[in-house]
Amino acid sequence: MSSTAATGTVTGRETSSRPVSGRFELLTYLGSKLAAAVVSFFVTLVIGFTIFSLMPSDPVRTLTRGRPTSEAQLAHLRLQLGLDKPIWERFLSFVNDTLHFRLGYSWQFQQSVSSLVADRLWPTLLLMGTAMILSVTLGLWLGVRSGWRQGSLFDRIASSTSLTLWSVPTFWLGMILLVVFSVGIGPIPSLFPAGGMSDPALPQSGFGHYVDVARHLVLPCLTMVLVVFAQYVTIMRSSIIDELGSPYLLTARAKGLTDADVRRKHATPNALLPSVTMIFMQLGTLVSGAITVEAVYSWPGLGYLTYQALQIPDLPLLQGTFVVFSASVIIMNFLADVVYRYLDPRVRAQ
Amino acid sequence: MTVEEGRLSPPRLNAARRFVRSYLERPAGLAGLGVLAAFGLLALCAPLFIGDAQLNVIKVTGPQLAGPSGSYLLGTDQAGRSIIDLVIWGSRESLSIGIIATVLTVLLGTTVGLLAGHYEGWVGKGLMHVTDWFIALPSLPLAISLAAVLGRGAASITIAIAVTSWTATARLVRAQTLAVEARPFVDRARALGAGNTQIMLRHVLPNVTPLVLVSSTLTVASAILSEATLTFLGLGDPTSVTWGSMLQSAFSDGAVTAGAWWYLLPPGIAILIVVLGFTLTGRAVEHVLNPRMVGRS
Amino acid sequence: MRKNLRTVVTACALIGTLLASAASLGVASTASAASSTTLRVAMSSSGVDTLNPFLAFFNGALDSFGSIYPTLNSLDINGNPGPYLATSWTPSADKLTWTFKLRDGLKWSDGTPITAQDAAWTFNLIMTNSVAGTANGSLVSNFASVTAPDATTLVIKTKAPQANMMYVSVPTSGIPIVPQHIWQSHVAGLKDYKNDTFPIVGYGPWVMTDYKPEQYAKFDANKSFILGAPKFDHLIEQSFKATDAAVAALRSGQLDFIGALKPIQYKALVGQKNLTTIQETGNGWLGVEVNPGAKTRSGKPMGTGNPALADPVLRNAIAIATDKQTLVTKILDGLGQVGQGYLPPAWPQWKWAPAAADEQKYDPAKANQLLDTAGYKKGSDGIRIDPKTGKPLNLRLGIHSDDPTDAAISTYLAGWLKEIGVNLTIQPLSMSALNSDLAKGDWDMLMDAWPTGPDPTYLLGIQTCATLPKDDGTGGNTDAFFCDKTYDGLFKQQLTTFDPAERAKVVGQMQDLLYKAGVDQLLWYANTKDVVRTDTVTGLITGSPNAQGLYPVQTSFWNYLKAAPVTASSKSSGNGALIGIGALALVVVLAGGGLVLRRRSSAGDRE
Repeated sequence: MSSTAATGTVTGRETSSRPVSGRFELLTYLGSKLAAAVVSFFVTLVIGFTIFSLMPSDPVRTLTRGRPTSEAQLAHLRLQLGLDKPIWERFLSFVNDTLHFRLGYSWQFQQSVSSLVADRLWPTLLLMGTAMILSVTLGLWLGVRSGWRQGSLFDRIASSTSLTLWSVPTFWLGMILLVVFSVGIGPIPSLFPAGGMSDPALPQSGFGHYVDVARHLVLPCLTMVLVVFAQYVTIMRSSIIDELGSPYLLTARAKGLTDADVRRKHATPNALLPSVTMIFMQLGTLVSGAITVEAVYSWPGLGYLTYQALQIPDLPLLQGTFVVFSASVIIMNFLADVVYRYLDPRVRAQ
Repeated sequence: MTVEEGRLSPPRLNAARRFVRSYLERPAGLAGLGVLAAFGLLALCAPLFIGDAQLNVIKVTGPQLAGPSGSYLLGTDQAGRSIIDLVIWGSRESLSIGIIATVLTVLLGTTVGLLAGHYEGWVGKGLMHVTDWFIALPSLPLAISLAAVLGRGAASITIAIAVTSWTATARLVRAQTLAVEARPFVDRARALGAGNTQIMLRHVLPNVTPLVLVSSTLTVASAILSEATLTFLGLGDPTSVTWGSMLQSAFSDGAVTAGAWWYLLPPGIAILIVVLGFTLTGRAVEHVLNPRMVGRS
Repeated sequence: MRKNLRTVVTACALIGTLLASAASLGVASTASAASSTTLRVAMSSSGVDTLNPFLAFFNGALDSFGSIYPTLNSLDINGNPGPYLATSWTPSADKLTWTFKLRDGLKWSDGTPITAQDAAWTFNLIMTNSVAGTANGSLVSNFASVTAPDATTLVIKTKAPQANMMYVSVPTSGIPIVPQHIWQSHVAGLKDYKNDTFPIVGYGPWVMTDYKPEQYAKFDANKSFILGAPKFDHLIEQSFKATDAAVAALRSGQLDFIGALKPIQYKALVGQKNLTTIQETGNGWLGVEVNPGAKTRSGKPMGTGNPALADPVLRNAIAIATDKQTLVTKILDGLGQVGQGYLPPAWPQWKWAPAAADEQKYDPAKANQLLDTAGYKKGSDGIRIDPKTGKPLNLRLGIHSDDPTDAAISTYLAGWLKEIGVNLTIQPLSMSALNSDLAKGDWDMLMDAWPTGPDPTYLLGIQTCATLPKDDGTGGNTDAFFCDKTYDGLFKQQLTTFDPAERAKVVGQMQDLLYKAGVDQLLWYANTKDVVRTDTVTGLITGSPNAQGLYPVQTSFWNYLKAAPVTASSKSSGNGALIGIGALALVVVLAGGGLVLRRRSSAGDRE
């Protein structure tokens, strides 16, 4: 959310741009990055816990709303949800639980948060993964084209389109696509399902199932791609422009390569280097998109789970999804470091 | 993203003149500024022509959820209020949340960045670590969690936005502070006996401010988007008229089924235009201040 | 350049083919469903919290339990108790011992016979194991013992006479009976048991065969069900968080029934082809609670409620300054009834209306006059001053921040109260913040809503003094800190009054007390609005409309049991064809767009 299409600073990579030698250095590098990631994760846990313990919350009467409940029942429920323990004890058990991949006990679902997360991990991975691949592909392709012929009509159309789409609230775009392509408007019939991940009347396995899931995936995925790809266009475009004046391109041209070949074989690979790490770092935007898109399309993933947790609010569940989302971003950042190291020609050359 | 040394040094008047001249050459930037001026004016003047009679549900007389007509250019909502009036009125709250959140962001980010850049010892390192940790946190889940815990309403949304977006400013200001402090005039000031506070406030801050202002236009854009998103998720004040709350009630009342496009489209388009306005303005200023970026449209 | 053009066209074609095949699959799905019949309904929007019947609170889960687990009694379509597992139930002379005669020869879905022992085991588990009592503990709190002397006899002894015994184990709102041979091995880990081994062993009109969280629950019909076989072969409950998505699915033929539409949606669907829309009489109220001065059980004041509200005159003035009819017209689109009695109109057996003299009709002038007489003088800013404390009447109204209805009502209320010189500050709160403020007495006014089944005992019970919190602030589940000794006496009396008419009279007196107190000011009973497809299903809606055109409360138990497929062969395939055409159109547009884009870019390249 805070990341904007135009700003985006890659930092903490100064160390890796120095030529280094040997396998040992690589391991040290990875080790230090890994350590940083672990520390970062632990701090996340502390921040998460602090936020969710700021305010004492008693969800019991909310949970039992509309159902006959006796006083003894309420007291028991409080006990069952662990609401009666002092705060430090709750923190210790929270850290211990998290290290063992247990994420607490959801108030509203009365199950362990880990099992809820496990149930919903795959749909989110599918949605975010597809959206990421498509938007990265689209964004990089458009970015290379725009940057290469900077100021051309293509560049202007691509840049202004992506800038406009970036300025749209994701959930609103989702609602509009829902109205146009699912509810159907005017002459447009209902083309795609309005919600969910599959048609339960169809068999839940085999080729037909995959096609069915793909059909359900189209609108949520399209919404995310449309909003997210803009930043990849901007990143890739700037990288290409940075490469434009480089002498090696002149050399390549002098060798008699066609314009397209120079772009494809020389400029693009070099421009990819800063872009790829940036793309990994922008994953947070994708996570944000997943929450609202899943809420609009009832996509049964982690974002939707977060949305549900908000209603009560179900703090252990919110805390759980928060930890999972943060962990995924931290892992992605770590991967960005690894990929950078792998892509950097100065390192690869050795 | 760093500004070359010397670019912002005095004499400032000339620089300002140069700035305006270069800005005027950027049509996109002018368009963005125009949009913002128009919306700003509309928001400020709204109380002149929109009042209780248009907004108070017990006083309005319009038809319920009716499409556009002569007297209601963009139709009406469920209570019979004119959508166009609501969109105009909503700009006040949406813009002010966006701007207040940005001010908080800038204050927080600048303070941290300035301190981290100036004190290079453990204070600076520690602050940078904190910044890094916050960067690693996914912003929407963090904002959601904060808003959920702080209670519902504009105040908690504003805080949540500020807490999740100060890191970019902090990094920017730190880098800039390091650059400025490396320059000779700071050393001179130090030699003349200037204290830490004085150096930071009198010498570094004025040189950092222009860049911070640029980045803050972009922050306003994302703050407005965040406000809409958080309100849509049910974390805002549902009784206030903001673009986010209009969209939330349209979505939860079933405007999609009713095909009430006049209820769904205007608030979203308003967000789009204003966010685009801020982004264009911010980028134009950025290019003018930082010619290295000129190529990046 | 050529090569690139080809790539783009190929990519477009590929995407197009994928879309087209996806769309045509939609066509295939409608066709293949012909061999066996499936009823497709939208799951209650609250969803399923857990499939463990000892823990679940959400309506989606309770509906499912009604379909897959048996109960002692059933409720007929008017809400009166009828036979299910039990064929007869008789109280002893002292009304403390109930003997249920259970059917012989019924079998759980795995073939094991259903005996009285299963029922006794279930009840005893809830009575003795606090985890098992999580959801339904209060329903058995008056039970002394439950035994099964033989396979078809169940004996329940109660501590005090209990008039609502036949409502304790009924589908959806009562205690589902589970097979002992399956569940006894799960007692130890009951808290974490998800009950997700399919098919779930149970007995009922349906057997649950599959469940995916937030997606769907699938059921097969139990064709030998004792209260009549379901006409459909399969039942699918699909989960939709946004009702609009459900409506879209219904319109495109992927759903047959949606319960609980929003007013705007209902209006949009009325009179459309192949759809029937109905309204049910409301089975719950929505109201404003007014803090009459929160006190603990021993009478110690607690919380930060505005003391002025202890004055019944002020509460009454607030009530008559509220234009309930406008709320119904504007916010409910007229699809509801103005609130009056504490028990909703869905259950006519408890119907009560205030005497003409007591009726709190909308009359702002009278409200102002009442307050003038009582000494609430207006300050310079138009806000009245509380004569007892000398402070202006500033009141807080807590609303559910995620509920747009609450928000809409609160803006009206603030406007109306301003007219009588009361300043209302609206506080949007999360559900648990609102409930915890309520429990602590830290509130002036709150929005509140309660549904109830045909047995009103619980809803009446939350207004008794016994539900006030203890002196340390814990315990208690009072609705609004109402406490009245006469009311408490009547509450005990109705619980032991076994004659329905006599009991209704006592309950009427209780409603009268509540109405006059003005602590729970009921704004409306919203009609429940449903839509059902007429080209695929018939007989789903039960009962017939009353004079106002309202149907009795619909229950998933009877709805899905009575629903029958429409056999007409004229099921149109027009929809599928349309989808195909649409997809084709999209392909053309995409391919065209790709070409144009391509042209432009190469034009750019040439520059």
